[in-house]
Amino acid sequence: MRRPLIGLTAYAEQVQYGRNDLMAGMLPMTYVKAVHATGGRAVLITPDDPGTDVLEALDGIVFCGGGDIDPANWGAPPHPATEVDKVRDRSELMLMGAALDAGLPMLGVCRGMQMMAVSTGGSLHQHLPDLVGHERHRAAPGTDPLAANASDYGRHDVVIEDETLAHRLFGRSLTVNSFHHQAVADPGAFLPVGWCPDDRVIEIVEHPGQPFALGVQWHPERTNDLRPFEALVEAAVRGRAVAA
Amino acid sequence: MRPIIGITSYVLPATWGVWVDLESALVPHDYVEAIRLAGGRAVLLPPDDLDTDVLDRLDGLVLAGGPDVQPDRYGQEPHPATVTHPERDAAELALLHAALDRDLPLLGVCRGMQLLTVAAGGSLHQHLPDVLGHEKHRPGPGIYGSQSARFAPGSRIAALMGDDPTINCFHHQGVADPGALTVTGWAPDGLPEAVEDPDRSFVLGVQWHPETGRDRRLFGALVAAATKESTGTCADR
Repeated sequence: MRRPLIGLTAYAEQVQYGRNDLMAGMLPMTYVKAVHATGGRAVLITPDDPGTDVLEALDGIVFCGGGDIDPANWGAPPHPATEVDKVRDRSELMLMGAALDAGLPMLGVCRGMQMMAVSTGGSLHQHLPDLVGHERHRAAPGTDPLAANASDYGRHDVVIEDETLAHRLFGRSLTVNSFHHQAVADPGAFLPVGWCPDDRVIEIVEHPGQPFALGVQWHPERTNDLRPFEALVEAAVRGRAVAA
Repeated sequence: MRPIIGITSYVLPATWGVWVDLESALVPHDYVEAIRLAGGRAVLLPPDDLDTDVLDRLDGLVLAGGPDVQPDRYGQEPHPATVTHPERDAAELALLHAALDRDLPLLGVCRGMQLLTVAAGGSLHQHLPDVLGHEKHRPGPGIYGSQSARFAPGSRIAALMGDDPTINCFHHQGVADPGALTVTGWAPDGLPEAVEDPDRSFVLGVQWHPETGRDRRLFGALVAAATKESTGTCADR
Protein backbone atom coordinates (compact mmCIF):
# COMPACT_ATOMS: atom_id res chain seq x y z
CA MET A 1 0.00 0.00 0.00
CA ARG A 2 1.20 3.48 -0.76
CA ARG A 3 2.47 5.31 2.32
CA PRO A 4 0.56 8.42 3.38
CA LEU A 5 2.20 11.59 2.10
CA ILE A 6 3.16 13.93 4.93
CA GLY A 7 4.09 17.54 4.16
CA LEU A 8 6.71 19.18 6.40
CA THR A 9 6.75 22.97 6.54
CA ALA A 10 10.32 23.99 5.78
CA TYR A 11 12.65 26.95 5.93
CA ALA A 12 13.75 29.22 3.11
CA GLU A 13 16.98 30.20 4.78
CA GLN A 14 20.48 31.45 4.11
CA VAL A 15 22.61 28.40 4.99
CA GLN A 16 26.26 27.47 4.86
CA TYR A 17 27.37 24.04 3.70
CA GLY A 18 30.75 23.04 2.38
CA ARG A 19 32.04 26.10 0.54
CA ASN A 20 28.52 27.31 -0.22
CA ASP A 21 26.60 30.15 1.39
CA LEU A 22 23.21 30.41 -0.26
CA MET A 23 19.45 30.64 0.13
CA ALA A 24 18.06 27.13 0.37
CA GLY A 25 14.76 25.41 0.89
CA MET A 26 15.70 23.19 3.82
CA LEU A 27 14.78 21.26 6.94
CA PRO A 28 16.73 19.15 9.45
CA MET A 29 16.66 15.49 8.39
CA THR A 30 15.42 14.43 11.84
CA TYR A 31 11.87 15.42 10.80
CA VAL A 32 12.16 13.46 7.55
CA LYS A 33 13.51 10.40 9.35
CA ALA A 34 10.76 10.57 11.98
CA VAL A 35 8.10 10.48 9.25
CA HIS A 36 9.82 7.67 7.34
CA ALA A 37 10.42 5.65 10.52
CA THR A 38 6.71 5.75 11.35
CA GLY A 39 5.48 4.70 7.91
CA GLY A 40 4.90 7.96 6.05
CA ARG A 41 6.60 9.55 3.05
CA ALA A 42 7.86 13.07 3.74
CA VAL A 43 7.98 15.99 1.32
CA LEU A 44 9.18 19.47 2.23
CA ILE A 45 6.78 22.38 1.75
CA THR A 46 8.75 25.58 1.25
CA PRO A 47 7.28 28.81 2.61
CA ASP A 48 7.78 31.03 -0.40
CA ASP A 49 4.53 30.21 -1.97
CA PRO A 50 1.29 31.68 -0.63
CA GLY A 51 -1.06 29.15 -2.28
CA THR A 52 -2.51 26.26 -0.24
CA ASP A 53 -3.41 23.94 -3.14
CA VAL A 54 -0.55 21.61 -2.21
CA LEU A 55 -2.71 20.39 0.71
CA GLU A 56 -4.89 18.52 -1.78
CA ALA A 57 -1.98 16.19 -2.44
CA LEU A 58 -1.20 15.53 1.23
CA ASP A 59 -2.58 13.03 3.75
CA GLY A 60 -1.13 14.89 6.73
CA ILE A 61 1.08 17.84 7.61
CA VAL A 62 3.69 18.72 10.22
CA PHE A 63 4.18 22.35 11.17
CA CYS A 64 7.86 22.23 12.10
CA GLY A 65 10.13 24.16 14.44
CA GLY A 66 11.75 27.44 13.46
CA GLY A 67 11.99 31.11 14.39
CA ASP A 68 9.54 33.20 16.40
CA ILE A 69 6.09 34.11 15.12
CA ASP A 70 5.55 37.83 14.54
CA PRO A 71 3.65 39.16 17.59
CA ALA A 72 1.79 41.55 15.29
CA ASN A 73 -0.36 38.49 14.54
CA TRP A 74 -1.90 38.80 18.01
CA GLY A 75 -1.56 42.55 18.28
CA ALA A 76 1.49 42.76 20.57
CA PRO A 77 4.66 44.82 20.07
CA PRO A 78 7.84 42.73 19.62
CA HIS A 79 9.97 41.84 22.65
CA PRO A 80 13.70 42.64 22.14
CA ALA A 81 14.48 38.89 22.07
CA THR A 82 11.87 38.11 19.40
CA GLU A 83 13.28 37.21 15.97
CA VAL A 84 10.60 36.74 13.33
CA ASP A 85 10.35 35.16 9.89
CA LYS A 86 7.40 36.95 8.30
CA VAL A 87 7.49 35.07 5.01
CA ARG A 88 7.21 31.75 6.79
CA ASP A 89 4.53 33.12 9.13
CA ARG A 90 2.34 34.23 6.25
CA SER A 91 2.67 30.92 4.42
CA GLU A 92 2.10 28.74 7.50
CA LEU A 93 -0.87 30.77 8.74
CA MET A 94 -2.54 30.24 5.37
CA LEU A 95 -1.63 26.56 5.26
CA MET A 96 -2.86 25.96 8.80
CA GLY A 97 -6.14 27.77 8.22
CA ALA A 98 -6.78 25.73 5.08
CA ALA A 99 -5.66 22.48 6.73
CA LEU A 100 -8.03 23.06 9.68
CA ASP A 101 -10.87 23.82 7.25
CA ALA A 102 -10.13 20.57 5.43
CA GLY A 103 -9.71 18.49 8.60
CA LEU A 104 -6.25 17.41 7.44
CA PRO A 105 -4.38 15.50 10.18
CA MET A 106 -1.71 17.80 11.61
CA LEU A 107 1.13 17.78 14.10
CA GLY A 108 2.68 20.98 15.43
CA VAL A 109 6.25 20.87 16.76
CA CYS A 110 7.58 23.77 18.89
CA ARG A 111 6.96 26.78 16.61
CA GLY A 112 4.29 24.61 14.93
CA MET A 113 2.38 24.25 18.20
CA GLN A 114 2.67 28.00 18.76
CA MET A 115 1.33 28.51 15.23
CA MET A 116 -1.76 26.45 16.20
CA ALA A 117 -2.50 28.93 18.98
CA VAL A 118 -1.82 32.06 16.94
CA SER A 119 -3.68 30.92 13.82
CA THR A 120 -6.85 30.31 15.84
CA GLY A 121 -6.89 33.63 17.70
CA GLY A 122 -4.53 32.83 20.59
CA SER A 123 -1.30 34.45 21.72
CA LEU A 124 2.21 33.70 22.98
CA HIS A 125 4.54 34.64 25.80
CA GLN A 126 7.39 36.24 23.88
CA HIS A 127 10.24 35.49 26.26
CA LEU A 128 9.76 32.79 28.87
CA PRO A 129 12.66 33.74 31.17
CA ASP A 130 10.80 37.00 31.87
CA LEU A 131 7.75 34.99 32.93
CA VAL A 132 9.14 31.98 34.77
CA GLY A 133 12.47 33.39 35.92
CA HIS A 134 14.67 30.58 34.56
CA GLU A 135 16.16 29.29 31.29
CA ARG A 136 15.33 25.62 31.67
CA HIS A 137 13.24 25.54 28.49
CA ARG A 138 16.24 26.51 26.39
CA ALA A 139 19.83 25.28 26.36
CA ALA A 140 22.90 27.49 26.33
CA PRO A 141 23.49 29.34 23.04
CA GLY A 142 25.99 27.73 20.70
CA THR A 143 25.47 24.18 21.94
CA ASP A 144 23.35 21.61 20.25
CA PRO A 145 20.62 21.59 22.85
CA LEU A 146 18.84 18.58 21.45
CA ALA A 147 21.79 16.24 21.13
CA ALA A 148 21.51 12.99 23.08
CA ASN A 149 24.48 13.97 25.22
CA ALA A 150 23.34 17.54 25.86
CA SER A 151 23.40 18.93 29.39
CA ASP A 152 20.42 18.69 31.68
CA TYR A 153 19.33 22.06 30.43
CA GLY A 154 16.20 21.74 28.38
CA ARG A 155 14.87 18.50 29.86
CA HIS A 156 11.80 18.40 32.03
CA ASP A 157 8.61 16.49 32.79
CA VAL A 158 5.20 17.04 31.25
CA VAL A 159 1.97 16.17 33.07
CA ILE A 160 -1.11 15.39 31.02
CA GLU A 161 -4.84 15.87 31.52
CA ASP A 162 -6.99 12.73 31.73
CA GLU A 163 -9.32 11.70 28.91
CA THR A 164 -7.51 13.51 26.14
CA LEU A 165 -5.86 12.46 22.91
CA ALA A 166 -2.51 13.29 24.52
CA HIS A 167 -3.31 11.06 27.50
CA ARG A 168 -4.13 8.15 25.19
CA LEU A 169 -0.80 8.69 23.43
CA PHE A 170 1.54 9.42 26.32
CA GLY A 171 -0.22 8.41 29.55
CA ARG A 172 -0.11 10.67 32.61
CA SER A 173 3.39 12.03 32.18
CA LEU A 174 6.57 11.91 30.15
CA THR A 175 10.01 13.53 30.10
CA VAL A 176 10.83 15.74 27.13
CA ASN A 177 13.67 17.75 25.66
CA SER A 178 13.14 21.47 25.27
CA PHE A 179 14.48 24.28 23.12
CA HIS A 180 12.28 27.35 23.04
CA HIS A 181 12.14 30.79 24.61
CA GLN A 182 8.52 31.52 23.73
CA ALA A 183 5.41 29.61 24.81
CA VAL A 184 1.65 29.52 24.37
CA ALA A 185 -0.19 32.06 26.53
CA ASP A 186 -3.70 31.71 25.02
CA PRO A 187 -4.18 28.52 22.93
CA GLY A 188 -6.98 30.01 20.80
CA ALA A 189 -9.36 27.32 19.55
CA PHE A 190 -7.01 24.57 20.79
CA LEU A 191 -7.19 23.04 24.28
CA PRO A 192 -4.15 22.98 26.56
CA VAL A 193 -3.78 19.38 27.79
CA GLY A 194 -0.16 19.07 28.97
CA TRP A 195 2.02 21.30 31.16
CA CYS A 196 5.50 21.51 32.60
CA PRO A 197 4.72 20.85 36.29
CA ASP A 198 7.38 23.27 37.59
CA ASP A 199 6.10 26.42 35.92
CA ARG A 200 2.77 25.50 34.28
CA VAL A 201 4.11 26.33 30.81
CA ILE A 202 1.78 24.74 28.22
CA GLU A 203 3.53 21.80 26.55
CA ILE A 204 0.71 20.06 24.62
CA VAL A 205 -2.38 21.34 22.82
CA GLU A 206 -5.03 19.46 20.88
CA HIS A 207 -8.20 20.26 18.98
CA PRO A 208 -11.22 18.10 19.88
CA GLY A 209 -13.12 19.25 16.79
CA GLN A 210 -10.48 17.96 14.38
CA PRO A 211 -9.79 14.39 13.23
CA PHE A 212 -6.19 14.78 14.49
CA ALA A 213 -4.58 18.05 15.52
CA LEU A 214 -1.87 17.79 18.16
CA GLY A 215 0.79 20.32 19.12
CA VAL A 216 3.83 19.62 21.27
CA GLN A 217 6.28 22.22 22.57
CA TRP A 218 9.24 19.83 22.59
CA HIS A 219 11.15 18.14 19.74
CA PRO A 220 10.08 14.48 19.43
CA GLU A 221 11.93 14.23 16.10
CA ARG A 222 15.19 14.56 18.03
CA THR A 223 14.40 11.59 20.29
CA ASN A 224 13.58 7.90 20.02
CA ASP A 225 10.05 8.57 21.22
CA LEU A 226 8.23 9.08 17.93
CA ARG A 227 4.71 8.53 19.28
CA PRO A 228 3.45 11.93 18.00
CA PHE A 229 4.62 11.03 14.47
CA GLU A 230 3.17 7.52 14.70
CA ALA A 231 -0.17 8.98 15.70
CA LEU A 232 -0.08 11.49 12.84
CA VAL A 233 0.71 8.81 10.25
CA GLU A 234 -2.07 6.57 11.61
CA ALA A 235 -4.52 9.47 11.41
CA ALA A 236 -3.34 10.19 7.85
CA VAL A 237 -4.06 6.57 6.85
CA ARG A 238 -7.49 6.73 8.50
CA GLY A 239 -8.24 10.07 6.83
CA ARG A 240 -7.39 8.69 3.44
CA ALA A 241 -9.67 5.69 3.96
CA VAL A 242 -12.54 8.05 4.84
CA ALA A 243 -11.85 10.25 1.81
CA ALA A 244 -11.81 7.22 -0.51
CA MET B 1 -4.81 23.29 -8.55
CA ARG B 2 -1.30 23.97 -9.82
CA PRO B 3 0.74 20.97 -10.94
CA ILE B 4 2.98 19.64 -8.17
CA ILE B 5 6.62 19.37 -9.12
CA GLY B 6 8.96 17.30 -6.95
CA ILE B 7 12.56 18.48 -6.67
CA THR B 8 15.18 15.99 -5.48
CA SER B 9 17.34 17.31 -2.65
CA TYR B 10 20.71 17.08 -0.99
CA VAL B 11 21.32 15.75 2.50
CA LEU B 12 24.22 17.70 3.99
CA PRO B 13 25.43 19.14 7.29
CA ALA B 14 24.13 22.72 7.15
CA THR B 15 24.83 25.73 9.36
CA TRP B 16 22.36 28.55 10.05
CA GLY B 17 21.19 30.58 13.04
CA VAL B 18 22.21 28.75 16.22
CA TRP B 19 22.64 25.47 14.36
CA VAL B 20 26.04 24.15 13.31
CA ASP B 21 26.52 21.29 10.86
CA LEU B 22 23.04 19.86 11.37
CA GLU B 23 22.21 17.14 8.86
CA SER B 24 19.57 18.71 6.63
CA ALA B 25 17.61 18.08 3.47
CA LEU B 26 18.14 21.10 1.25
CA VAL B 27 18.13 22.38 -2.29
CA PRO B 28 19.09 25.85 -3.57
CA HIS B 29 16.00 28.02 -3.36
CA ASP B 30 16.47 29.03 -7.00
CA TYR B 31 14.83 25.73 -8.03
CA VAL B 32 11.76 26.42 -5.89
CA GLU B 33 11.49 29.96 -7.22
CA ALA B 34 11.91 28.79 -10.81
CA ILE B 35 9.00 26.36 -10.39
CA ARG B 36 6.84 28.95 -8.64
CA LEU B 37 7.44 31.60 -11.30
CA ALA B 38 6.60 29.06 -13.99
CA GLY B 39 3.21 28.36 -12.34
CA GLY B 40 3.94 25.10 -10.50
CA ARG B 41 3.94 24.14 -6.82
CA ALA B 42 7.29 22.76 -5.70
CA VAL B 43 7.78 20.15 -3.01
CA LEU B 44 11.24 18.95 -2.00
CA LEU B 45 11.95 15.23 -2.01
CA PRO B 46 14.53 14.09 0.54
CA PRO B 47 16.29 10.92 -0.62
CA ASP B 48 14.33 7.80 0.28
CA ASP B 49 15.14 4.41 -1.12
CA LEU B 50 12.13 2.55 0.28
CA ASP B 51 9.92 3.02 -2.73
CA THR B 52 8.69 5.54 -5.27
CA ASP B 53 5.07 5.87 -4.13
CA VAL B 54 5.44 9.65 -3.84
CA LEU B 55 5.22 9.80 -7.64
CA ASP B 56 1.49 9.05 -7.36
CA ARG B 57 1.03 12.60 -6.10
CA LEU B 58 3.46 14.39 -8.42
CA ASP B 59 2.78 15.86 -11.86
CA GLY B 60 6.43 16.42 -12.74
CA LEU B 61 9.94 15.85 -11.43
CA VAL B 62 13.14 17.89 -11.36
CA LEU B 63 16.37 15.97 -10.84
CA ALA B 64 18.47 18.72 -9.31
CA GLY B 65 22.20 19.34 -9.39
CA GLY B 66 24.48 17.75 -6.83
CA PRO B 67 27.45 15.43 -6.35
CA ASP B 68 28.88 12.99 -8.89
CA VAL B 69 27.10 9.76 -9.78
CA GLN B 70 28.87 6.65 -8.49
CA PRO B 71 31.03 5.40 -11.39
CA ASP B 72 30.12 1.75 -10.74
CA ARG B 73 26.63 2.71 -11.94
CA TYR B 74 28.18 2.90 -15.43
CA GLY B 75 30.91 0.31 -14.99
CA GLN B 76 33.95 2.45 -14.13
CA GLU B 77 36.41 2.82 -11.29
CA PRO B 78 36.26 6.18 -9.50
CA HIS B 79 38.58 9.01 -10.61
CA PRO B 80 40.41 10.76 -7.72
CA ALA B 81 38.32 13.91 -8.30
CA THR B 82 34.99 12.03 -8.19
CA VAL B 83 32.87 12.81 -5.11
CA THR B 84 29.73 10.75 -4.67
CA HIS B 85 26.73 10.40 -2.39
CA PRO B 86 25.57 6.78 -2.86
CA GLU B 87 22.33 7.17 -0.87
CA ARG B 88 21.19 9.93 -3.15
CA ASP B 89 22.08 7.88 -6.25
CA ALA B 90 19.99 4.95 -5.06
CA ALA B 91 16.97 7.08 -4.20
CA GLU B 92 17.10 9.21 -7.34
CA LEU B 93 17.69 6.35 -9.75
CA ALA B 94 14.70 4.51 -8.26
CA LEU B 95 12.56 7.63 -8.69
CA LEU B 96 13.91 8.22 -12.18
CA HIS B 97 13.17 4.71 -13.43
CA ALA B 98 9.67 4.77 -11.94
CA ALA B 99 9.04 8.22 -13.42
CA LEU B 100 10.13 7.01 -16.86
CA ASP B 101 7.85 3.96 -16.53
CA ARG B 102 4.84 6.20 -15.95
CA ASP B 103 5.99 8.82 -18.48
CA LEU B 104 6.06 11.57 -15.86
CA PRO B 105 7.48 14.86 -17.21
CA LEU B 106 11.14 15.07 -16.16
CA LEU B 107 13.75 17.80 -16.18
CA GLY B 108 17.33 16.86 -15.27
CA VAL B 109 19.73 19.64 -14.31
CA CYS B 110 23.52 19.07 -14.33
CA ARG B 111 23.83 15.95 -12.14
CA GLY B 112 20.20 15.30 -13.14
CA MET B 113 21.18 15.14 -16.83
CA GLN B 114 24.03 12.80 -15.92
CA LEU B 115 21.62 10.55 -13.99
CA LEU B 116 19.27 10.48 -16.98
CA THR B 117 22.23 9.39 -19.08
CA VAL B 118 23.30 6.64 -16.68
CA ALA B 119 19.71 5.40 -16.39
CA ALA B 120 19.58 5.23 -20.20
CA GLY B 121 22.63 2.97 -20.28
CA GLY B 122 25.15 5.71 -21.06
CA SER B 123 28.36 6.76 -19.35
CA LEU B 124 30.16 9.87 -18.12
CA HIS B 125 33.55 11.53 -18.36
CA GLN B 126 34.63 11.63 -14.73
CA HIS B 127 36.85 14.69 -14.90
CA LEU B 128 36.47 16.97 -17.90
CA PRO B 129 39.76 18.89 -17.56
CA ASP B 130 41.53 15.55 -18.24
CA VAL B 131 39.49 15.06 -21.41
CA LEU B 132 39.10 18.59 -22.74
CA GLY B 133 42.24 20.27 -21.39
CA HIS B 134 40.36 23.34 -20.18
CA GLU B 135 38.19 24.50 -17.24
CA LYS B 136 35.49 26.40 -19.14
CA HIS B 137 32.71 24.23 -17.70
CA ARG B 138 33.77 25.11 -14.14
CA PRO B 139 36.04 28.17 -14.13
CA GLY B 140 36.46 28.27 -10.33
CA PRO B 141 34.70 27.81 -7.00
CA GLY B 142 31.26 29.40 -7.21
CA ILE B 143 31.86 30.74 -10.74
CA TYR B 144 29.64 29.67 -13.61
CA GLY B 145 31.13 29.29 -17.06
CA SER B 146 29.08 31.26 -19.55
CA GLN B 147 29.07 29.65 -22.98
CA SER B 148 27.11 29.78 -26.18
CA ALA B 149 25.57 26.41 -26.99
CA ARG B 150 24.51 24.94 -30.32
CA PHE B 151 21.23 23.01 -30.52
CA ALA B 152 19.99 20.37 -32.95
CA PRO B 153 17.47 21.91 -35.37
CA GLY B 154 13.97 20.61 -34.68
CA SER B 155 14.78 19.45 -31.14
CA ARG B 156 12.72 20.39 -28.09
CA ILE B 157 15.59 22.33 -26.55
CA ALA B 158 16.23 24.30 -29.74
CA ALA B 159 12.59 25.42 -29.76
CA LEU B 160 12.67 26.32 -26.06
CA MET B 161 15.93 28.29 -26.16
CA GLY B 162 14.94 30.29 -29.23
CA ASP B 163 17.30 33.15 -30.06
CA ASP B 164 19.42 33.08 -26.90
CA PRO B 165 21.77 30.09 -26.69
CA THR B 166 23.67 31.38 -23.63
CA ILE B 167 24.20 28.75 -20.94
CA ASN B 168 25.92 28.87 -17.53
CA CYS B 169 27.82 25.74 -16.55
CA PHE B 170 29.29 24.50 -13.30
CA HIS B 171 30.41 20.89 -13.55
CA HIS B 172 33.55 18.80 -13.84
CA GLN B 173 31.91 15.68 -15.27
CA GLY B 174 30.08 15.35 -18.56
CA VAL B 175 28.21 12.93 -20.82
CA ALA B 176 30.52 10.58 -22.73
CA ASP B 177 27.95 8.16 -24.16
CA PRO B 178 24.27 9.26 -24.04
CA GLY B 179 22.98 5.68 -24.07
CA ALA B 180 19.43 5.54 -25.42
CA LEU B 181 19.03 9.33 -25.23
CA THR B 182 19.49 11.78 -28.09
CA VAL B 183 22.05 14.55 -27.68
CA THR B 184 20.38 17.78 -28.79
CA GLY B 185 22.78 20.46 -27.54
CA TRP B 186 26.53 20.98 -27.51
CA ALA B 187 29.08 23.37 -26.00
CA PRO B 188 31.56 25.02 -28.40
CA ASP B 189 34.05 22.25 -27.49
CA GLY B 190 31.57 19.58 -28.60
CA LEU B 191 30.59 18.39 -25.12
CA PRO B 192 26.92 17.32 -24.87
CA GLU B 193 24.92 20.01 -23.07
CA ALA B 194 21.36 18.74 -23.62
CA VAL B 195 19.78 15.29 -23.95
CA GLU B 196 16.21 14.28 -24.77
CA ASP B 197 14.13 11.16 -25.03
CA PRO B 198 11.94 11.69 -28.10
CA ASP B 199 9.90 8.57 -27.27
CA ARG B 200 8.52 10.06 -24.06
CA SER B 201 6.26 13.07 -23.62
CA PHE B 202 8.79 15.23 -21.75
CA VAL B 203 12.26 14.05 -20.79
CA LEU B 204 14.90 16.76 -21.00
CA GLY B 205 18.34 16.97 -19.44
CA VAL B 206 20.55 20.05 -19.48
CA GLN B 207 24.13 20.22 -18.29
CA TRP B 208 23.89 23.91 -17.33
CA HIS B 209 21.93 25.62 -14.51
CA PRO B 210 18.70 27.20 -15.81
CA GLU B 211 17.40 27.59 -12.22
CA THR B 212 19.89 30.37 -11.38
CA GLY B 213 18.10 32.65 -13.87
CA ARG B 214 14.69 31.06 -13.10
CA ASP B 215 14.59 30.34 -16.82
CA ARG B 216 10.90 30.19 -17.70
CA ARG B 217 11.64 28.71 -21.09
CA LEU B 218 12.67 25.40 -19.50
CA PHE B 219 10.74 25.38 -16.22
CA GLY B 220 7.68 26.73 -18.03
CA ALA B 221 7.85 23.84 -20.49
CA LEU B 222 8.12 21.34 -17.63
CA VAL B 223 5.14 22.89 -15.81
CA ALA B 224 3.12 22.93 -19.05
CA ALA B 225 3.86 19.23 -19.60
CA ALA B 226 3.00 18.54 -15.94
CA THR B 227 -0.28 20.43 -16.31
CA LYS B 228 -1.24 18.10 -19.12
CA GLU B 229 -0.26 15.16 -16.90
CA SER B 230 -2.32 16.58 -14.03
CA THR B 231 -5.43 17.03 -16.20
CA GLY B 232 -5.03 13.60 -17.70
CA THR B 233 -4.87 11.75 -14.40
CA CYS B 234 -7.11 13.74 -12.09
CA ALA B 235 -9.87 11.14 -12.34
CA ASP B 236 -7.59 8.66 -10.56
CA ARG B 237 -7.03 10.81 -7.51
